[in-house]
Amino acid sequence: MNKLFLGLLFFCLVMPLFAETKEELDIKHKELLEEYNREKNKLLIPKFSGAIILPEKLDLNTASYEEIKSLPITSEQAEDIFDYRFFHQFFKSIYDLREIESIDQVTLNKLKPLVSVSHYKDKDEAAQRRDEIYYLIERLGSNEGLQEGMSDVWEDYLMTPRNINKLTFSDILNLPNVSAIDVAAIINRRAIGDTISSYRDLRHSPGISYYGAKNIRHYVYYKEQPVTRKMFVDYQMKYNDSPYPDDALEMFKESMIRYEGSSSEPSTPEIKKQSYWGFFNMESDRASMLNKLRIRYLNEWKAGCIFNTSKGEENIFKKDNEDILKDSKFYVGYEKELDLLGRNFLKIYAGNYRATFGEGLVMENTDFYSPRKTGYGFNKRITGIIPDISRTQEYALRGIALDWKRDNLNAVFFLSKDEKDAVVYDSNNNGKLDDDDDVLSYITMTRRFTDDELESAEEYFNDYPNNYNAVDIAPRKDALKEQIIGGHLEYSPFIGTHIGMTGYEAVYNRDFVVPETDELKHLLISDPEYAEEKWKITDNEISALYSTRSDEIGDRDYRRVYGFDWRTVLNNTSIQGEYAELEVDGSIFKIGDDPKAIIVSAYTQFENLYFLSMYRDYDLEFDNPYHRSFSESERFDDTVFEKLTYALNNTLLTDMYLNSAQPSAEKGIYFETRYQFSRYFTITKAYLDIWERKSDARRGIRFQGKLEFKPIHQIRLRGRYKHQIKRYDDDQDRGKSQADEYELGFLFYLSNFDKIILGYVYGTVLQPPYLSILSNPAQAGAPDMAQASTLGNGDMVYVGYTHNFNKNLKVIGAFSFWQGHGVSFWDFEDIELDFDQEDRGFKFWFNVHSRISSNLFLSIKYKYKQFMTREYEFRDYNDIPDEGEYYFQRVERKENILRLQLDWKF
Amino acid sequence: MKRFLLLILLLLTMHNLYSYSILESETGNYITNFDARSSAIGSAIASGGNNLFDALTNPANLGFVQDKFGCQFTALVLKDADNRSLPMYNSFDAYCDDATYVSNINYFENYAFGAYYNMKFSDINSAVSVIYRPFMNFDSHYFEEVRNNQNSDYNSYPPIIAKNYIDSEGAINTLSILAALTYKDFVSCGIEVSKLRGNSDKERSIIWSDQALEKLGTLTDTTNTLTRDFNAFQIKVGGKVKVNRRLGFGIAFSPKIEFDVTGDKDGVDVENAVYSYTKFDSLDNPTDSLLYSDFYSPMRLRAGISYEPRNIMRTYFNCDIEYTKWSDVNSLYDDELSYYIGIEHRLKNRIPIRLGFNYQTCYSLHEHSGKVFADKVTIPTFTAGTGFTLLENFNCDISFEFSNRQYEALDLFMDSFYDYDELWEYPQYLNLQDRNWENPDTVKETFINIQSSISFKW
Repeated sequence: MNKLFLGLLFFCLVMPLFAETKEELDIKHKELLEEYNREKNKLLIPKFSGAIILPEKLDLNTASYEEIKSLPITSEQAEDIFDYRFFHQFFKSIYDLREIESIDQVTLNKLKPLVSVSHYKDKDEAAQRRDEIYYLIERLGSNEGLQEGMSDVWEDYLMTPRNINKLTFSDILNLPNVSAIDVAAIINRRAIGDTISSYRDLRHSPGISYYGAKNIRHYVYYKEQPVTRKMFVDYQMKYNDSPYPDDALEMFKESMIRYEGSSSEPSTPEIKKQSYWGFFNMESDRASMLNKLRIRYLNEWKAGCIFNTSKGEENIFKKDNEDILKDSKFYVGYEKELDLLGRNFLKIYAGNYRATFGEGLVMENTDFYSPRKTGYGFNKRITGIIPDISRTQEYALRGIALDWKRDNLNAVFFLSKDEKDAVVYDSNNNGKLDDDDDVLSYITMTRRFTDDELESAEEYFNDYPNNYNAVDIAPRKDALKEQIIGGHLEYSPFIGTHIGMTGYEAVYNRDFVVPETDELKHLLISDPEYAEEKWKITDNEISALYSTRSDEIGDRDYRRVYGFDWRTVLNNTSIQGEYAELEVDGSIFKIGDDPKAIIVSAYTQFENLYFLSMYRDYDLEFDNPYHRSFSESERFDDTVFEKLTYALNNTLLTDMYLNSAQPSAEKGIYFETRYQFSRYFTITKAYLDIWERKSDARRGIRFQGKLEFKPIHQIRLRGRYKHQIKRYDDDQDRGKSQADEYELGFLFYLSNFDKIILGYVYGTVLQPPYLSILSNPAQAGAPDMAQASTLGNGDMVYVGYTHNFNKNLKVIGAFSFWQGHGVSFWDFEDIELDFDQEDRGFKFWFNVHSRISSNLFLSIKYKYKQFMTREYEFRDYNDIPDEGEYYFQRVERKENILRLQLDWKF
Repeated sequence: MKRFLLLILLLLTMHNLYSYSILESETGNYITNFDARSSAIGSAIASGGNNLFDALTNPANLGFVQDKFGCQFTALVLKDADNRSLPMYNSFDAYCDDATYVSNINYFENYAFGAYYNMKFSDINSAVSVIYRPFMNFDSHYFEEVRNNQNSDYNSYPPIIAKNYIDSEGAINTLSILAALTYKDFVSCGIEVSKLRGNSDKERSIIWSDQALEKLGTLTDTTNTLTRDFNAFQIKVGGKVKVNRRLGFGIAFSPKIEFDVTGDKDGVDVENAVYSYTKFDSLDNPTDSLLYSDFYSPMRLRAGISYEPRNIMRTYFNCDIEYTKWSDVNSLYDDELSYYIGIEHRLKNRIPIRLGFNYQTCYSLHEHSGKVFADKVTIPTFTAGTGFTLLENFNCDISFEFSNRQYEALDLFMDSFYDYDELWEYPQYLNLQDRNWENPDTVKETFINIQSSISFKW
């Protein structure tokens, strides 16, 4: 009892003292914090209460400079300690002091009893979040080229995840690398009243795949939003001085002057200025520059703008306000779940937006073509409406879009009014291209010349002495006023299944008119002889362009495309498809009486295997400019736009092929799989495509398989084989080409910081015996006549190295050398694809990635590429006299490329 | 000892080695900076400069120099590979590519030196400095051979007909006095007053070979000369604010400089020698001419930001924008913005890794159909570098700069000049004609600049 009494007495006496001490500590700590906050202008909060700091020890994470200086160390050492905390990082333990150069072990031993380290957590949770998912942001950035704008949407969801227990089917399906089967597994669970409480819980959802769950996990939260910050701003600047692609160079450099007789007469004066390249002095074209700004409040309010100056274009400072408004892109939007007689999901966007539905048959507005776009894995589509500040300009939609979802219904409505670049021809034969002339087609220009520029060049070419080629067809910037009204209606009767309808009507201020074939070939090809000779059956694709002039129903000023799509998930298989029609002469309510397109696919998923099969069939006349579904090649492949640049009335028409975003008219069946059949072996991707091109019934087979062997995590051996045949089903051997490619690669993780990749590629191409190949060989005296098919072969070796100095500084570099005649290679460079061709060459590049701070990121890439261009051809063609030397020091091309990207996220 | 020897070696080679382009042989090449650290971080130093020569970009940088006394030297090797190529045509007469016919790589010399003294009075820090350095350089060399079309069956090269030279030498050097005041290490202002003085000599010559003279004795060598002396004063002012330990802003302004130019062009006083016509009346008659004595340096306004974030490596990030009023030099030029970005990371062992990028523009003038046009040429530059402590008070910085530019130009020595049948083995195969602006040369230049600075601080 006495002990109890004494204990109580002691408690009563001591506790106030202790409380006072704690209060003092708190005050001191508070003062320290305030002082520190003033210094670093950034709020930090202690993870634990200040009471844990012992009074006799100085907390290195909160002490002021003066306090650190009071320790038994020199003022330089005190400054170094303070700077370490201020400019490097907070102390995790007192042993971090040894990281400071001026603190040796003796000093540390001396300081040990005098200092402590409290645990701190950076209050900037957005920075912390970014740090956690940085590798994903980096990966999204590396796919930006293929995904064009979608990366921004995914990055927003990474930074501000959404509640998985509230997301709709399409919301989850729109995440990268997530299949409909994974989504159905999640929604099915929720449908029975279950909620998903953690990643582990998600992973155990019946039917979900390992990869599906893994890919979803960073985009969603389960109980509590990990980031409470609401306002986010992202700014990006990109500078890129890459040269024009080779095929575009040929287009710009081709002569626009034709002389009486034949355009191939060698007497044609060799004058550089008779090409667009020479006329516009494109040697000095300035680099491309992109500035992009996005602001958002949660995932609700969003706004953004982009000013993209493509290579050669005038920068923003040289444009007037009207052009700035036309050439830039911007949006404001609002997305919200509303509780209005139930759960409603609303999205509304004004400005530029992207609209994608189904499989992209009716509407998917991007300027960029992607072959074999399955809609799965890395070829994902985000269906519905999303904001758009991508580089897409020609097929950009600008106006208002509304997306509303409720229960089983989804309705989208969109309006757009924008001016498009178009190919205009002198249809009224008044000798000039004016507003009264008809339009042949949309066009995406490699360099977006202004009308004044184009007119001055055409005037120069037309007035050229003895030139008979009058330019009466040419691209024109913003020549076509397009107003689009469209919508999508979708009903989901049960989980994983929906049927939807999509349609749009585009109204134009000018007529799209495709002349009769005879007239068309002479319009496109300047030389009458060539017009007859060179016009091939593949050019049907041009004749089949949409025309607003109809013999059946008279003239109209619109284009209507409509269709329906569906999806259903049955166990581990998802079946989906879309059917679309372009209204030409048929009835709007009758199916099958107009040019049509259909695509159907089935995707089966197991834990270690997926299998995709797909069938597509697009009519030649199905000319929907917003069509972006699966195909093997882009529109106008093998037509005069690709093959006959030198004979075109206007060489710039080659852009019709070069930047075509529409798929070629084809039908075929495609299979794709990934299969991890043992712990060590994985078929990372294998596909087989068998298709027929509609324009000329040419058939093709393409197979590619990649196998990876991973004996241990640090070592990977990769093999790839590609085989492709394109030929007609008759004896026209000249129509056959066959390519085979073999690749063997090794990847070694040398340490936690270093990675090396070595590889070898060998390829062969069997080509038809075109005279142009056999008569222009390297050696003089080669046969002039076609004798047999030619087999070209080439190979490439490459080595790549990655070194991480630490998590904030990384250098990636590679070297490759190739040699081959008629064989080309695609090479994936860090974050972009490069196409290596020509006889032989080499290149090296390196890219430095620096995370300057938690919200500032810099990437600088330098590339040097040197390759032979056409030395043999030049030597052969430049009138080498029979006697005498004709020596040029070099006919090789050297390219120095710089690319800079700066991202500021706060 | 090794380090000491290295220091001596660097001191002995204490000169800048320059190689400049023929493009700037008359207009002069403006030298951006002399500090290897600044060079490595893309010359983005309006706010983030902390070495003596950074004060040349923004005089206010001098106010933040901490040591009492210091001096700095810079050595620099700059390689300019100038490749000129003529357009090549395929069988359909389409211009396909270019074949290089002459390649020049040259080296020249120059030097820079500076010292400063720093005094502290209570909260105010004052610093003065004297720097001697080149402001603009005219050095360039061009050489090409004209060979005849004789074949090489006899194991010999075709003989030389003529040798063509363009030699330009000279520089405008500057003796600058800089002063800066800093209040509480928070804000500083600085001024630079410079006397600019220099000269340039340019000679363009065609020297016939003995063999050519043997075949055609009437040939005479051709030489054109341009000699100029330059004189001017420059004032530059700058300000810098360190908002806090992380963030700083800097701004620098240098007005247009008008040079007093004397000299002669082929024996004609430069004040009477017409360089080009820039304005024309309604009938396209030239009205306003640019003379060889018209020599200006444009007004420049540069603003920059420096940021030192928290990073697991000590990190400095700098970014500058510079407005250059090119219209001060020539009414045909547009005013331009230049961009500079640089970053410095200091790794665990304190070795700095520096990276940078800058984007600048210059102009080339050319005449076509009696009118003069100005073509803008952009110069992107990638930079990298590092540094180390040589002796206790000596620091050495090393930088690497790579830049390239591409533009069109006329053949510097026109083909018709050599159109004498006597000089050629097979004149029947030749059709020597001047290629004008309808068929110009493509000039591709790459600059590699390796710079080292040694600074002594006490």
